[in-house]
Amino acid sequence: MSTDPIATKSGWLLLRRTLMQQRRGLTVGVSIGLLWTIGKIAVPQLTRFAIDEAIVKSGSLLTWTLLILSAAIIAGLFSGMRRYFAFRESRMTESLMREKLFAHIQGLDVAYHDRAQTGQLMSRASTDLQLVQGFVVMLPLVMANVAQIIGVVIILVLGDPLLALVALLPLPFLNFIAQRFSKKIHPANLIVQQEQAQLATVVEESIAGVRVVKGFGAEAVMSERLRVEADDIQRAALAAAKIRSTFLPGIDLLPALGLVAVLGIGGHRVLNGDMTIGELVAFNTYVTLLIWPLRNIAMTIALGQRAATALVRIDEVLAEQPQISDPPQPQHLPVSQPGRSVGAVHFDDVTFSYLTDEGMVRVLEHLSLHIQPGESVAIVGATGSGKSTLARLLLRFYDPEAGSIRLDEVDVRQLPLRELRSSVGVVFEDTLLFNDTVSANIAFARPHVDSSVVRRAAQLAGAHDFITELPEGYDTILGERGYSLSGGQRQRIAIARAIVADPRVLVLDDATSAVDPTKEHEIRDALVTVMKGRTTIVIAHRPATIELADRVALLDQGTIVATGTHRELLDTNQRYRDVLAAWSAPEVGDGAVV
Amino acid sequence: MWRTPAGVTEDDKLSRTETRTVLLRSIRMASQFKWWGIATAVLVTVSVLFTLSGPLLVRHGIDAGIRRGDSGALNAAVVGYLIVTVLSYIVGRVQYLTINRAGEGFLRTLRLAVFDRLQRQSMAFYDREKAGVLVARMTADIDSLAELVQWGLLQFMAAGMLLVLAMFLLVSLSWQLTLVALLVLPILVLSSIKFQRDSNRAYLEVRERVGANLSNLQESIAAVRVIQAYAREEEQIRRFEETNRDLYRSHMHSVRVSTWYFGVVEFSGIAATAFMVGLGGWLVHRGSVTVGTVVAFVLLLANLFDPVQQLSQLYNTLQSAAAALHKLFGIIDEVPDIIEAPNAAVLPPAGDLQMKSVTFSYQGGARPALSDVSLVVPSGSKLALVGPTGAGKSTVAKLMARLYDPASGSVTFGGVDLRQASFDSLRERIVVVPQEGFLFNGTVRDNLLVARPSATEAEVRSALESLGVRERFESLPEGLDTEVRERGSRFSAGERQLVALARAALVDPAVLVLDEATSNLDPGTERDIEHALENLMAGRTVVVVAHRLTTVRRADQIAVVNNATIEEIGTHDELLALEGRYAALVGAWEASQPT
Repeated sequence: MSTDPIATKSGWLLLRRTLMQQRRGLTVGVSIGLLWTIGKIAVPQLTRFAIDEAIVKSGSLLTWTLLILSAAIIAGLFSGMRRYFAFRESRMTESLMREKLFAHIQGLDVAYHDRAQTGQLMSRASTDLQLVQGFVVMLPLVMANVAQIIGVVIILVLGDPLLALVALLPLPFLNFIAQRFSKKIHPANLIVQQEQAQLATVVEESIAGVRVVKGFGAEAVMSERLRVEADDIQRAALAAAKIRSTFLPGIDLLPALGLVAVLGIGGHRVLNGDMTIGELVAFNTYVTLLIWPLRNIAMTIALGQRAATALVRIDEVLAEQPQISDPPQPQHLPVSQPGRSVGAVHFDDVTFSYLTDEGMVRVLEHLSLHIQPGESVAIVGATGSGKSTLARLLLRFYDPEAGSIRLDEVDVRQLPLRELRSSVGVVFEDTLLFNDTVSANIAFARPHVDSSVVRRAAQLAGAHDFITELPEGYDTILGERGYSLSGGQRQRIAIARAIVADPRVLVLDDATSAVDPTKEHEIRDALVTVMKGRTTIVIAHRPATIELADRVALLDQGTIVATGTHRELLDTNQRYRDVLAAWSAPEVGDGAVV
Repeated sequence: MWRTPAGVTEDDKLSRTETRTVLLRSIRMASQFKWWGIATAVLVTVSVLFTLSGPLLVRHGIDAGIRRGDSGALNAAVVGYLIVTVLSYIVGRVQYLTINRAGEGFLRTLRLAVFDRLQRQSMAFYDREKAGVLVARMTADIDSLAELVQWGLLQFMAAGMLLVLAMFLLVSLSWQLTLVALLVLPILVLSSIKFQRDSNRAYLEVRERVGANLSNLQESIAAVRVIQAYAREEEQIRRFEETNRDLYRSHMHSVRVSTWYFGVVEFSGIAATAFMVGLGGWLVHRGSVTVGTVVAFVLLLANLFDPVQQLSQLYNTLQSAAAALHKLFGIIDEVPDIIEAPNAAVLPPAGDLQMKSVTFSYQGGARPALSDVSLVVPSGSKLALVGPTGAGKSTVAKLMARLYDPASGSVTFGGVDLRQASFDSLRERIVVVPQEGFLFNGTVRDNLLVARPSATEAEVRSALESLGVRERFESLPEGLDTEVRERGSRFSAGERQLVALARAALVDPAVLVLDEATSNLDPGTERDIEHALENLMAGRTVVVVAHRLTTVRRADQIAVVNNATIEEIGTHDELLALEGRYAALVGAWEASQPT
């Protein structure tokens, strides 16, 4: 394998740690495998004696028949159990590792998730774990196989060393062939998969871009593109078939050659009187008993190689340390008391850069902003000016390069993450709903909250009316596989979610952008209620939403360049007017017609 | 290897007649590969005969050679065995190649046929079908047949043939021993049938759990910011563990189903040997059969049981393949709503675009989307369509480009009904530029040529030039050969829109149907788009679904579409003077402007 040996080693260690947890089950699996092997080996031996003693001579047929029958029962029983234990343990490994991976991914910081692709993480937890499972399931069997090979070889050698040598000679090649085959077929299969993926892209595009295709009459162009891909798949599939056709019949050829040799040499031995017919038949059967174990071992080695690369990929994710974690000696937020309001937010001289493909990009530079308890501040700025970054820093999705952020005079880095994040409620622009009921989505932050709280929050967020019109009201399942809501409706659910969380500081990150302008006033009222007496940071570009805030801070070139009320800034600040003008898309039609 | 058997849901399961139809149709479709198929059948027969001749040669070696002390006969048997073994390899190799030739050829034909039919479908088809399902038909469904083509068919032919020939051979050797060998067959057949049924159910259950678990996973990764923002990680982990354990349990259920089955199979195989020894030995003692025959039977037993087991496992694969084929044929049978008229006319180079009392409903729509709409867009003039979402303005535009056909009334260009026009001339005269600039994988040039594959380099350049964007695209790192990356992710929304406009310029149509973009674009590109649009529209008949007042003002005619009819039509000033809906609309727009 071309992968780094250290990484491979640490991948195997990961597997070993998991398997150690399951050592009892694995031991049982291997033991049963061994018992099964013994039963399996006993059968030809019994058959041989039966033929020699009871058929050729005249022993008790019934005894031999019953003996073979009991071997049948034992082998049948253990064969099933062996399978059961192998799958039980391998599925357990898969399950445990997936849970571990999931918990780890959930704990990784947002900066990691910015870089990581969902698809990549998904395939660690699905395809890669399946490769590992496919390998682990073979382990008990392979151990039994090894025992079987040793046992059979001993019997053969003890029976007739020369004949054994001749019969076994072709078999090591079997292993060699199987390994070579897997080395060759794997890349060929990958090419087929790639070609299939390319064809899928053409199909997806032709459907997603059907307006272009129809609008320009480009059907023939698309069909031609598909034909190219279909031809490629055919070519790749036939290339893979050619590899298989060379190796697969070869796997049958080699043991058969051994059997021919046994018949030839063994037959002459019987003629010479050195061997009985029964011994010859048994010998023959033993040689066939080696075929499957050898094939299995070769296949398992190939599977092991693929599992190793999968383990490396899984281990990479697990080795990733979260950059944001609980402080060693956490402090706590002061408790809200009568006469002492909470929710003061201080950004002090904050500098922050994002790590992107093009290196570090500075977003905030020496930014300072102080927000009083209960005050609402609208952050206004052009696209990419770093407005949302403020919210993310306050939540400690990232830590600033320089400067500090304090919540009620405590540096956010000194707070336990859970305490900080349950004190700051954010409504994001792109609202993610979970595949769960409306109620559960709203009560996300406090799952055990009373249904009346959920309803009140929905009412406040202006969501109650449309929720009651849903097929099953608050019990309607939302999310990707559930009922789909409009952008504005989703945002209102998200606002309700923040209301239930009842945070000390509320951040509305462009939370009304998808709400129909004509419906905005409904939410405005809701927002006014929610914001009352609560520190609120409003990131917005619609004048109507901005006006809700006590104060506006204009963010430009990474820092706050002006603060004041919406009116004041409109009157005095040219940059502010420019930013708002750039935002307001002059629209007619949709929504503007009441 | 332990392959999980494929499964078919109850809904997908075909009736006997349906299966027969699907089968016959597949055979017809594959008829161009019939010689490969016939060759495979011949080779499979030969290779099965070889397989069976092995034990026979051993028997001959024992009975004629060893027992009679005839070393010549023994040697003949050994040499024969060797030749058969080597020939088996060669035949095995060739048959694998021939079946794959036929199979992959068939899959290619199927892919082309299904896609060709998809391409012929009208917009209405794409409105009602889910994109994901269509993609799945073309990918997962066809790919799922690949396994059948690579292994299944060959295995099916070989197993069937082996079963028949092995039976034939056994009977001809000794009918008494054949009966002995078949003693365990009932158990094997019955448990195979039960297993096939149970494992199908278990497989479907596993598939569903895998889906649920994966979507939980995906959701939790996609929503990780929300989860962390609300400090709900532990909750989510618990939730995931639940679905993950459910998956584990369903895996275990499916393992239990196979546990006893494989036990029974193992037992039957050995039990058959036991009966063979017991009853066969008795027959030998009575002198009815020879020892060699019993030995040959013991060796041949595997050839009897393996095919039974294989066939029962293939049954699920075949069923799910038949279900997939059935769905694919369903697509091929779908007749397109919009087809080219026989003896279609060529549209004149220029002319008025006219709608005459058009009524139209979308499929499944309760009310008509347009009812009795009449309009004339004189050659070279511009019509802006405005109105609320869902009122029908986009529908007007789509009908004017024959993306749909009206239920009654007609749409004509230069006096020719669009339904009578040839597809080629229709798309040469009338071009639709959709709202979002959709880019296909490939280079910028590929994306332009989609509209007119035959365009020359000079035509591409002059199309870009005419919009004033040639410089912009030619200055890319690799000029027009720059890859746009996945869905054009290399470019901004505005730049993608520019490519879309350039496509239209390349066709140089008489009529341009535009759906104006509503999304916010960066101010820099916005100006370029304005400029490009202006150039593109110059001298052409234009129908635009407008979202911007500036666009509306420039139009020669403005039609306010509401409630499936045209409520007001006229110039900007005329409509303002009406003080109707348009005036209200403009008022609302002005009010929403920042002061």
